[in-house]
Amino acid sequence: MGKIVYAATMIARAGPRLLHGKNVGPHGRKMVEELIDVVRDMGRTMLAARPDALVVIADDHLNVFSFDAVPAMCVRIGRFVERMVQADAIEFDRALDGLPERYPLHEDLANRILERGLEDGFDFAASWSAPLDHAFLSPVSTLCGDRPAPPLVPFWVNCFVAPLPMARRCFAAGRHIARVVAEGPWDVAVIATGGLSHFPSCRWPGWARPMPAFDRRIVRLLEAGDHEALCALTTKELHESGSHELLNWMVLIGAVSPAAAAVRFFGEMGRIDLAAMEWSVR
Amino acid sequence: MSRYDVNVILYRLKKDAAFRTRFQASPQTVLAGADLSDEEREAFVRWDTRRLNELGGSLHLLVSIPHLGAH
Repeated sequence: MGKIVYAATMIARAGPRLLHGKNVGPHGRKMVEELIDVVRDMGRTMLAARPDALVVIADDHLNVFSFDAVPAMCVRIGRFVERMVQADAIEFDRALDGLPERYPLHEDLANRILERGLEDGFDFAASWSAPLDHAFLSPVSTLCGDRPAPPLVPFWVNCFVAPLPMARRCFAAGRHIARVVAEGPWDVAVIATGGLSHFPSCRWPGWARPMPAFDRRIVRLLEAGDHEALCALTTKELHESGSHELLNWMVLIGAVSPAAAAVRFFGEMGRIDLAAMEWSVR
Repeated sequence: MSRYDVNVILYRLKKDAAFRTRFQASPQTVLAGADLSDEEREAFVRWDTRRLNELGGSLHLLVSIPHLGAH
């Protein structure tokens, strides 16, 4: 019988690239360095659990899926996945420079999540070709460092192109992943990525700032294991607070429910609130 | 409301370097056949990113177009 052996969430850009250029000032630099140290330590815990697969729940930053088709949720299937390559990428998308170009996938687990999902009423999309952007690979590379990452199961949630999936539906998708893991033979790590509030209403930088009070409330709910309150978050609340990426976290929360989270890091950086959380699942 | 068309153009500006070069040289020419309102067309021509965002342009596209984005 399989089990989830590690579960955590963290900001998508949890990597040294966040320290480059004008991304951070002195205050932000100190905070990001501390966060990276925490995520590296989380990676040691994750790899010590010797997972057979690593499910990574993240969103597409309009890098992979064009406006011609935007899946609410998508499972990457196949044997390998490439990192996104983009000529002339701006700093935001250069987080991947220097990382391995190809990563093995856990084909069997990905297929089971997809196929059992369709049997159970989750109309997941499937992709054989979508590459991975920073939302997937920055956290994975920071967690794993020089050690090889476990075979991946990338799982996309549409966090930015309206209409978005509901928080409760993301939670249900996570419950589905937990059932698939429990029915299988593998030990599985699960991470979800994304920042807390930033760019409220997806408005232009400079117009908007994070909403620390909202984020502190979310963290309290996570620590309390109040998953019903998190499921009740509306798309409007997430949009107005710029907390769209919590939808990724909701899938993970569903996968580990009823476990409560432990805060490994929380920081208010002025432009985005950062957090790294772990769940005791063993 | 041609939010789809606005974002399709932004997506091409991000991903298609040749299209981006033509746009930078002559936005009016590149957008001549696009299904845009006058307001959207003017925002593109002036490269008024805040206005494009107000008109439904994806923030994540607007901030990540090489040589045009700002983050």
